[in-house]
Parts: sequence; C-alpha cells; structure tokens
Amino acid sequence: MRRRDFMALMGGTAAMGVLPARFGQAQTRAESLRILSEAGPNSLDIIGVGVNRNSIQATWNVYDRLVRFTSKPGPGGTLYYDYFALEGELAERWQVSDDKRSITFHLRRNAVFHDGSPVTAEDVKWSLDRVVSLPVGKPQFATGSMTDPAQFEIIDAHTIKVTTPKPDRLTLPNLALTYPVIYNSKVAKQNATAQDPWAAEWLKSNVAGGGPFKLDSFQPGQSLQLSRNDAWTNGPLPGYRRILWQFVPAAQSRRSSLERGDADIVQDVPPVDAVSLSKDDKLKVVGVPMAGAFQFIGMNNAIKPFDNVKVRQAIAYTLPYKQMFEAALFGRGRPLFGGKPGAPETTEFPQPLGYDTDLDKAKALLAEAGLAGGFETTFTFELSMATIAEPLSLLVQEALGKIGVKVTIVKAPAGQLGTMLQKKEVPFFFEASAAYLADPDYFFRIFYHGPTRWNFGSYSNAEFAGLVDKTRYEPDQAVYEKDVRRMIHLAKDEVPIILLWQPTLDTGMQKSVDGYKYQFHRQLELRTLKRV
Amino acid sequence: MNVLLRRLLGVVPTLAGVVVATFVLTRILPGDPAVFFTSSPSADAATIEAVRQKLGLDQPLWRQFVIYVGALLRGDLGQSITTGQPVLTDLLQRLPASAELTIVAFALAVAVAIPLGVAAALRPGSLVDHLCRLIATAGVSLPTFVTGLLLIYLFYYLAGVAPEPMGRLDPFATAPPRLTGFLLIDALAARNGEVFVSAARQLILPAATMAIFALAPLARMTRAAMIASLGSDFVRTARANGLKWRTIVVTYALRNALLPIITTLGMVFSYMLGANVLVERVFAWPGIGSYALDALIGLDYAPVQGFMLAMAAIFVAINLIVDIAYSIADPRTGLFGHA
Amino acid sequence: MRERLATAAYVLRANPVSLAALALLALLFGAALFGPALAPYDPLATNTSLALRPPSAAHWFGTDQLGRDVFSRVVVATRLDLAIAFAAVALSLAIGAAIGAATGYFGGFADAAVGRVVDVLMAFPLFVLAMAMVAALGNSVSSVVIATAVINLPFYIRLARAETQMRRHLGYVEAARVGGSGHLRILRVFLLPNIAPPLIVQASLNLGWAVLNAAGLSFIGLGVRAPTPEWGIMVAEGAQFIISGRWWLSVFPGLALMIAVFAFNLLGDALRDIVDPRSRT
Repeated sequence: MRRRDFMALMGGTAAMGVLPARFGQAQTRAESLRILSEAGPNSLDIIGVGVNRNSIQATWNVYDRLVRFTSKPGPGGTLYYDYFALEGELAERWQVSDDKRSITFHLRRNAVFHDGSPVTAEDVKWSLDRVVSLPVGKPQFATGSMTDPAQFEIIDAHTIKVTTPKPDRLTLPNLALTYPVIYNSKVAKQNATAQDPWAAEWLKSNVAGGGPFKLDSFQPGQSLQLSRNDAWTNGPLPGYRRILWQFVPAAQSRRSSLERGDADIVQDVPPVDAVSLSKDDKLKVVGVPMAGAFQFIGMNNAIKPFDNVKVRQAIAYTLPYKQMFEAALFGRGRPLFGGKPGAPETTEFPQPLGYDTDLDKAKALLAEAGLAGGFETTFTFELSMATIAEPLSLLVQEALGKIGVKVTIVKAPAGQLGTMLQKKEVPFFFEASAAYLADPDYFFRIFYHGPTRWNFGSYSNAEFAGLVDKTRYEPDQAVYEKDVRRMIHLAKDEVPIILLWQPTLDTGMQKSVDGYKYQFHRQLELRTLKRV
Repeated sequence: MNVLLRRLLGVVPTLAGVVVATFVLTRILPGDPAVFFTSSPSADAATIEAVRQKLGLDQPLWRQFVIYVGALLRGDLGQSITTGQPVLTDLLQRLPASAELTIVAFALAVAVAIPLGVAAALRPGSLVDHLCRLIATAGVSLPTFVTGLLLIYLFYYLAGVAPEPMGRLDPFATAPPRLTGFLLIDALAARNGEVFVSAARQLILPAATMAIFALAPLARMTRAAMIASLGSDFVRTARANGLKWRTIVVTYALRNALLPIITTLGMVFSYMLGANVLVERVFAWPGIGSYALDALIGLDYAPVQGFMLAMAAIFVAINLIVDIAYSIADPRTGLFGHA
Repeated sequence: MRERLATAAYVLRANPVSLAALALLALLFGAALFGPALAPYDPLATNTSLALRPPSAAHWFGTDQLGRDVFSRVVVATRLDLAIAFAAVALSLAIGAAIGAATGYFGGFADAAVGRVVDVLMAFPLFVLAMAMVAALGNSVSSVVIATAVINLPFYIRLARAETQMRRHLGYVEAARVGGSGHLRILRVFLLPNIAPPLIVQASLNLGWAVLNAAGLSFIGLGVRAPTPEWGIMVAEGAQFIISGRWWLSVFPGLALMIAVFAFNLLGDALRDIVDPRSRT
C-alpha cells in the first residue's frame, strides 16, 4: 500500500483523486507519521529463527510487556531509556519478596487487548512460558535465571509471581526486553496446532496483543501500517494516530525524501549522510552513541602469537585510531580508544581502554615478546560491513606494516564469518556486537567469557573467569563494584579484544517531530513520539 | 505432437540434474546457517543445536534431500529465512521486475541489431558494415556494470535528464494495482499515465545498459546469416527471375536467415535473464538476481535453490520456444510431426 | 604453416583494426609484465589527506577515497586480471578438449552421460552459478579461476566433441586404426592436432569474456581480496561515488577493462579469419 491508498483510508479524502498529493497530505500530516527504514520486519513473532531487527520495531509497538524502562534526558532534548529505573507497563506495581527470590506482579485491572478482552495472569503466564519453551527465547531468559515454566505462577486473575532459584538482579530487566511481549493467549491458542503449540506459524504474520498500536496492514518488503489503539491505558496515549512505515533500501532515496519533506523520520542514516544532513536547518539528526553496542578488533587469544599479552598490547598501541574513526565513521560515535590506562574510574563498561597510537612502545613490546621481526597474519571482516571495514582494514594493514606485521585482508560473508568465529578459526578480525543489558558483569559474561563465539577474544583468565562467576549473584553492591573494577582493569591491561568505539545511531527527522526516545534495542519507540 | 512430447520429457533429466546440483552447491557453502541465524549473544551451543533442528539441518544430507524433493513435488519451494516469506511468493514478486527489464532491453536490442545487421549484409565493406562490425565487437567488450555507471554519470549526474538510479519507480510515486507485476502494463491497465512515465524513465538506463551488451551478438549473427542467405542459389534465382529487390530481401533472404537468428535470440535472452545480477546491483533494481545474491551471502538455502531451479526452468522453456519457432520458420525440422 | 602465416599477413594488412588490436595487446602485456615498475606510486599506499582528488598532472587518473593513486592501481591490476583470464581459459580448454575429444571418439554411455551433465550445466544461469561456486570455494583468486573455467567448460566439450565426431571416420583416422595405432595414440597424434585450431579460436574469443566474468565477480564482492588492485573491485569501490560526480574512480578501471576485452575480441576475430577464412563476418 502506497501513499495514495494510505490517505484514502484516512477519511475525508475520498474526493481527493483530482487534488495534488501534497494538498491532501497537509490535511492529515498532523496526525500521521511517515517512517522510512532500510528494510522491514521479516516476522511479527519476535521469538523466531533469523528474525531481523526491524521486527523488533514492529512488535515493540503493537505489544506491551510487564515492565518498561523509564526515560531520562538524552542529547538535544531527546529521551534516553533509563536502564536502572523501571516502571510498570501491564503491571500496575510489583513487589520483591524478602528473600529477593520472587517478584509478584499486579496487573492493571483495566488493561485490555486489541480485541477488547481483559489482560489476565493467564495471558502473562502463557507468554512467559512461551519464551522459555522456544529455543531462541530460552537462553535470553536464562540470563535472568528463568528457565522453566514452573517459575511463573498464577496467584489470581490479576496477579502473577516469578520465582528464581537465587536472587538475580537481571530477572526484572529481562522482563522489559524484546522477547517477553504479552500475548492474548486465547487468540493465540486458537491458532496453535499440535505440532506448533506456541502458534509460531500464525504469529509470524498476525498480531495478538494489546499494545499502543494496532496493525492495519503489512506488505512484506514494502510497508507496514499501524493505527493508534485509543483504548490503550498503560501509559500516556501516543501522539500520532497513524503510522506509515515504508521500506526503502537505498539510503540515497530515504535521504532525498526526508529533504523534500515527504518523510517524517528516516532510520539507518549512514554516517556520511548524518554529517551533511545535520547541516540542513530544516531537519534534525539525532545521533545517540549506542549503549552496549561496540565495534572492535578481535584477536584470538588462544592461538599464537595473540596468546601473548605483549603482542596484543603492541597491536593496541599501533592502530591509528583517529584516522580509523574518521575514515570508517566520519567521527560519528563515542571513542573507546584513548583514556587513561590502569585502574578504571567508573564501573561502566564498555569504556576507553587507555590505548593511543604509540609506535615506539609498540615496537618495544613486540621485541619483548620475541617478535621484533614481526609476523604474518590475516585480518577478516564481514562483507556487509564493507563500507566501514574496508577503509578501516586498509589502515590497520598499513599501520601494522610499520611494526613489521604483515597482514592479508580477508572479506567473508556474514554466515561464513559467524561459523569461523564459532569454531575459533579466525586469528585477527573486525567485528561489531551489542549487549541489551547495561550491567558490566553481563557484558563480560557474554563477550569475555566462556566457549561461545561471543567471547570474541577467546579470553581465558582464571581470575577473570572467577570474577565473572562471582559477580553473577553478588548481593552486596560495594563488593560487586569492586569486583567489576578489577575485571575492567584486567580487560584494559590484557586487551583480549581492542575496543574501538561505540557507533552513533543516527536518525533523521523533520523539526516537527518531537519526543524521540532512544531505546536499548535501537529501534523506534512510537509511544513517546508526537508532533509539535 | 509426439515429437513435442518427447522433447518435453527430455527436459525432465536436465531439471532433475539442476535440482541435485543446486542442493549440493548450497550444502557445500562454507558457513553454518544454524550458527548464522542464532544471532543473539545470549545463545549457547544448545540453542544452536535447537535452531539446527528447527531448520531441518540436523538430518543426514540424503534425508534433507528427500524432504526437499518431496516439498518440491508438492510445489513448495520452501521458506526464505531472511524475508520470512515463502520462496515462491518472493520469486513471483520479484520475477516481473527482472523480466520487465530483460524484455524491454531485449526488444531494444532486437530493434537496433536486426536492421543494422541486415543493412550491413546488403552492403558489405561499406560504412554501415564497418559500423556494424565496430558495434558488434565494442558492445560485447563493455562490462554491463561499467556501462551502467557511465550512463548514470552522463544522464543522471551531468545531464540531469535521467531519474535517480534507484529501483523501478520513484519511491514516492504510487504503484499501480498489481495485475501482472509489470509496472508498464499495470500502469496502462490502471490508465495512470504519470506512473507509466515514471516507470519508463526508471527503466530506460538499465534497459539500455543491457541492450548494448545484447546488441552485439545479434547484429553479428544477423549480418552473417543474411550474407549467407543473399549469396544462396534461390536468391540468385529470384533475382534472375526479376523479382523486386525488396521482396527478395524481405521474403526470401531474411526468412531464410531467420533460423540462426532465432537460435541466437534464444541464447541471448536466457543469458540476459541470468546475468541481470550486475545490472540489478548497479541500479538497485528489486529483481530476482539481487534476491539470489543476498540469499547466497546470507546462507539462506531455499531461495538459492528456488532461484536456480526457476532460472533453469525458464532456460529450458525458452529453448523449447526457440525449437517451436524454428519449426514454424522451417517446417522441415518437424517438431510438429508433419515433416 | 607457411600458408597460415601468409593468411595472417594478409588479414593484418587488409584489416587495420586487427593491427590496432595487436597494438592494444602489446600495451596490455607491457602493463602486465612491467606494471609494478611502471606505476608512479605504490598502488597500496594510502594518504587520506589526498583522498578523492580529480585527475591532475601528479595523479593522472586522480585518487580514490583513501588517497591511493588510481593510475598506479589500474596499471598494476593488469597482471592479475590477465592472469585470471588466461588461467581460466587454459584450464577449460585443456579439460574441455580432453573430455570432448574422448567422448566424441568413443561415444557410448560415457558420451551420453557427459552430454547430460553438459545440458545441466548449460541450464544454469551461468553467472549466478559462478557466484555460487566462488561462494562455496571461498573468496580467492583460484576460486574465481575455477568458477570461470567450469562455466566455460560445456562450450569446449561440445566443440571438441563435434569436431572429433566429424573426423573419427575420416580416411586418415581409419588408416591409422588399420595400421594398428591404439585409441590413445590416434586421439593424441591424429585427432587433437586437427581439432586444435577451432578450439584455439574459441579460446581466444573466450578470453575477453573470462576477463569480464572475473571482474563481474569481484564487482559484486566475491573473488579477489581488497586491497589488491583489480579492475572489477576498483569499479565497485568507485560506484558509490559516481552519483556525486567522482567519475574517475570507476571510469578508468572500467576503461582498462573495456580495452582488454576489446583487444581480446579483436584478436579472436582475427585468429578466426586466419584459421577459417570462410567464416569471416
């Protein structure tokens, strides 16, 4: 469905066929929002195999969760999610038991699904059961100690209790993430089959929820339309009545339509466009360094010569960070290079590791490692990141040449690189990743620990691993922070991977769009958006 | 009709070969889809195994093949993980885009190449002949992706007459209601002149790019076939009988030159349909070539298999059409059994 | 042989275009042999302060987004592009001739089986098949060579088979057979030398196409690795800049590509005229 059909839906425009499109647009502009993104959702069921990030944007806005992150001020008058302050969405309130092992949620009495039926504890249980029962959902919930449907217990029609084996500070934030959306279980069950008890097939293309927006239509590969759920009472009513979200693969086309005023919000703005668009006074570009996201140079600590900490440090002192930052991201991001070496000042992570370009130091370290003559290695990056990684890898190659390290550049398609990383076959590479939860121990557990491919450096250090396990359930905040500081110190000294920067999430929009909120999942939050 | 039937049956082993070959090809692609599609950092080895099971990749290869062929026989090409759609839906959605481009380019090429080849054959050694020879050699020397970029530079950047080289329609024009998926036809059916013009404008540069490449073999073959045909006995006889030159050229010579030309037409057309990928890349054309490329890189097996099979089927169908056209042009080949 | 040379001299004299082709080829082979010595700059050296400069006296073909000299890169790339094309064509010529001649000579079941395999190969969209093979074999120069060779194979097999079949019952072959020569000897001594000329013509016509194919693969990101200078990659890297008017990044490597293919095609035509004067077109 394209623009003209879209407006025909909006009433009062039936005789519009003869009027120029722009005239009609002016009538409805105030109430409708036109979003352009590179790609659209490939599923409306967020817990599935290969579900893309655009699906988050769809499900986030048509479903509710029990709890949500509140807002704090972000850059340029925008909002930023506050990881450490949650509020109820479908839950009116919740209480934590004295032993801190269970959380009891009291649902809003007036909350209803899109079909008008009330939201009950049974729906919540079915939805949470679904997360732990599907292979993709289970490991995420396990990070919050939820693995078994028996942990979700219905107390009465509007009360549900979540119990964990140990007190776990990650249980509550896990319930605010993208997976635990609350389904209308009656509708979903009607569409379940014996082979598919969780209605995964049906929910891929249908919505059974009660969020602030209803799905009007979805044309895969083209567009998705939402209309506001005026019966929604789980928060302030959103500012826009209608959302038209179109998928436009070419960045150039998205950009020009924003400049012409045809689109209200343009997502996935490439760094180079963000720089030039922000000079246009008719528009605004909101650039938020992505929390938890990071790009880095990985080194396989398990194989020679990267098993030697001096070699890793030598490389960290060789990289021409500033040039790389400019060439790859045009400076759109928050540097993780530079900073002070040694003991950390905050417990936040990722944070700058304390390395800057210093070739003399690098050569000295390499000599100490017994590799004064350098060595040969390959440097791999993923094909789809070529616009960033290509110039970056050339700079890496050139810089390392100066300390005698000969680098061959390898481009690998995403699927291949993932598999090679899983098998720990890649010695030296560029990659990017992100963690949803902001707790530093969570970050370390995923990216600096264990046998998975996400331990990009294949880092293994007995003290560090011990601290990762110890902080998992540490109840004492002071002890926790001391342990985290020690882990950060180790991560800085031993550089299992070289963090480069946190890239900026750039979203272009008309000046009239207000209330932009940066969410941990980096997709649009439609609840807060409004026109001024 | 018997011959035609046998000809149709002969297609089956070829298609079966394609099915086997593509299946093998996708399975030897380096990279593990289960790992690739388990993209959440919280995933562990057990999750990867569960995903593998869900994708049916935990089965031994022969069972995967049996399941694939079984589905194929039911007309099910499988699901694309990347788009979340059935492969058949995706292909039907995107095939018209590629086909429209190819057909327009092909028509352009034929419209230029055949008159050019005939003119060159009528006056060998003349200026027209040299021009034809030059075009024929230069045309195939132009990589389509370079020609495309050059045309974009000349007509979009410098002259500003061509629209932005992005897709089939100005992204904010309204697409006509979908009847055939061919935008030009759908726009005409909807009596929407504006959209027709917009679609035609988007189409010109990529179609010209492909046409330049396709022109060369056609012009060359037309010229050769015409020279041979003009030198043959029956033309000489016809001339001796005092028939009008025009009649001789059109009725006798061209008709006899048609056979090799038709063969070349078929080859060129199916080659163009397959080699679309590059042009689609340059012009951000949402066709099946770029779909296959994305699937190949994204380890999405079903679309790659579906694409290859569809292309092979089209290739075989075109060959069949060429054979039929052949027997109409020359009844002696006897495809219809009345030799 | 002398006759052939005479024809060659005649063809060259009669057709100045072929002379031009020879000159172009000389230029290409010169660049391929001495490229690294001829290039004024290091083709890999980056200099971000000189990025995206248009052509000038210092940088004849301008500089790219990392400040590398486009002229040096185009010149140095010649060797790799030509090497890929020659290797691929030689490979498919050798294998195709052997298989084609053997099946054409012996016929029977093997002939039918090979015929089927060739049918299947031909039914594939060839460029996409090449893409898939490079993806399967891994991004490297040798994968590009193999993929290009495989998709060309059917044409050589068919040609060699047809030429052999035509000759296997000719008098001199029968005579050799009666004279007690083994099959292999007949194939090697009597048939292969006689089917060689048309195959070599086919190969020379194929060279330009092989260059295009390899460059096309690199253009879509499969094949040769960056930062190795290669024409297809250079065109691809420059493509994103064409819309903003930085034409020199992709136009010069594109021109080099065209000249190479053009020269090979002219060479093929000329060779065909020499080998088989009747088929001149």
